[in-house]
Amino acid sequence: MAVYVYSITSDRHPLRLDDLEGVGEPAAPLRKVVAGPLCAVVSDAPEGLRPKRRDVAAHQAVQERLMADGTVLPLRFGLTAPDDGAVQEALEKRAAEYTERLEALRGCVEYNLKALQQEEALLREILQESETARQLNEEIRGGNTSPDLPLRLGELVADEVQARQESLASGVIEALRPFARDLSISQPTGDDFVNVSFLVAEDQEELFLTTELSVSNQLGDSFDFRLNGPLPPYSFV
Amino acid sequence: MTVVPQGGGNVSRGGAGSGNLYDVLELILDRGLVIDVFVRVSLVGIEILKIDARVVVASVDTYLRFAEACNRLDLESGRKAPTQLTDIVGDTVESGARGKSKGALGGAMEAVAESLTGGGKSKRDEAGEEAEEAEEKEPVERRRPARRATRRERERGQE
Repeated sequence: MAVYVYSITSDRHPLRLDDLEGVGEPAAPLRKVVAGPLCAVVSDAPEGLRPKRRDVAAHQAVQERLMADGTVLPLRFGLTAPDDGAVQEALEKRAAEYTERLEALRGCVEYNLKALQQEEALLREILQESETARQLNEEIRGGNTSPDLPLRLGELVADEVQARQESLASGVIEALRPFARDLSISQPTGDDFVNVSFLVAEDQEELFLTTELSVSNQLGDSFDFRLNGPLPPYSFV
Repeated sequence: MTVVPQGGGNVSRGGAGSGNLYDVLELILDRGLVIDVFVRVSLVGIEILKIDARVVVASVDTYLRFAEACNRLDLESGRKAPTQLTDIVGDTVESGARGKSKGALGGAMEAVAESLTGGGKSKRDEAGEEAEEAEEKEPVERRRPARRATRRERERGQE
């Protein structure tokens, strides 16, 4: 029977799996597959698994439980192996690599930061600081219906938005970089100007959090900072 | 999961509880260790991560949307208050009635702006359901955001 694989840990990990539920409906019980110095946390793979909210949350809950007791290499959602033997084989084949990663990530957690500036505030800033944009805007509002004006204004504003968001992103990242062991920058989506994950070591966590808070407070109320963590190190495995 | 202490105004905190599963969805679905001999189940939902991030070339549409957003801005508070800080405060008061994090645009545009900004908490909860919605094969059109040239361009630059 196919098995769903959640994470890899060291065989010294306590693996408290009893009251945890795996993916699938009804939820599959979790078990471990031991391979030398490593363990894989698995369950029977449900038929027709899809990324339902419940299943994604279950996958994540398993990681969170495991990371509370030790280092974990979280697998990407949705990976299955044909059977326990195949899991064992895969672990054995790359035992050195996985052991090294576990060691490197020991005592570290991931924090993911996404942030946006409310569009209205951003546009307001641009209009206040760009004479040309303000003039164009006032001409349009004053009733000039030349079709050229909105295009010129829009292009100018679009460029400004991009420049400002990029500069905000690098400012925020640079402020936090000193407290992270590693970082992983992703494409921001929606209105976000930054989407970045930090790998933070235990002894830097407090400084990291304090700094993040201070940055978001400094930027003010038109900004929305969404910091998620501590997370298993999805971005650093 | 530990919940990080609540910070200032618009700072939202926390782990991957139901409220912000959406914000960590990309990590769970798109990061994490991949073991190449394992099979990845077919995940329609993976596509939802790409919806917001799709590249849109700087276009007339984008320009017009920005121009319109500027035209609709109430600049009064800005004129009265010269410093940036005051402007930000004024802005918050003004937009407060409509709820934080909503976009600038009034009327019909507001709904669009809302989907863009990822809005307040209720909006994020709704977005979090997408993993489920993806299954029903209707996620793309439903929360297709308005065109944004700027970020798309930047993303292309990064890739």
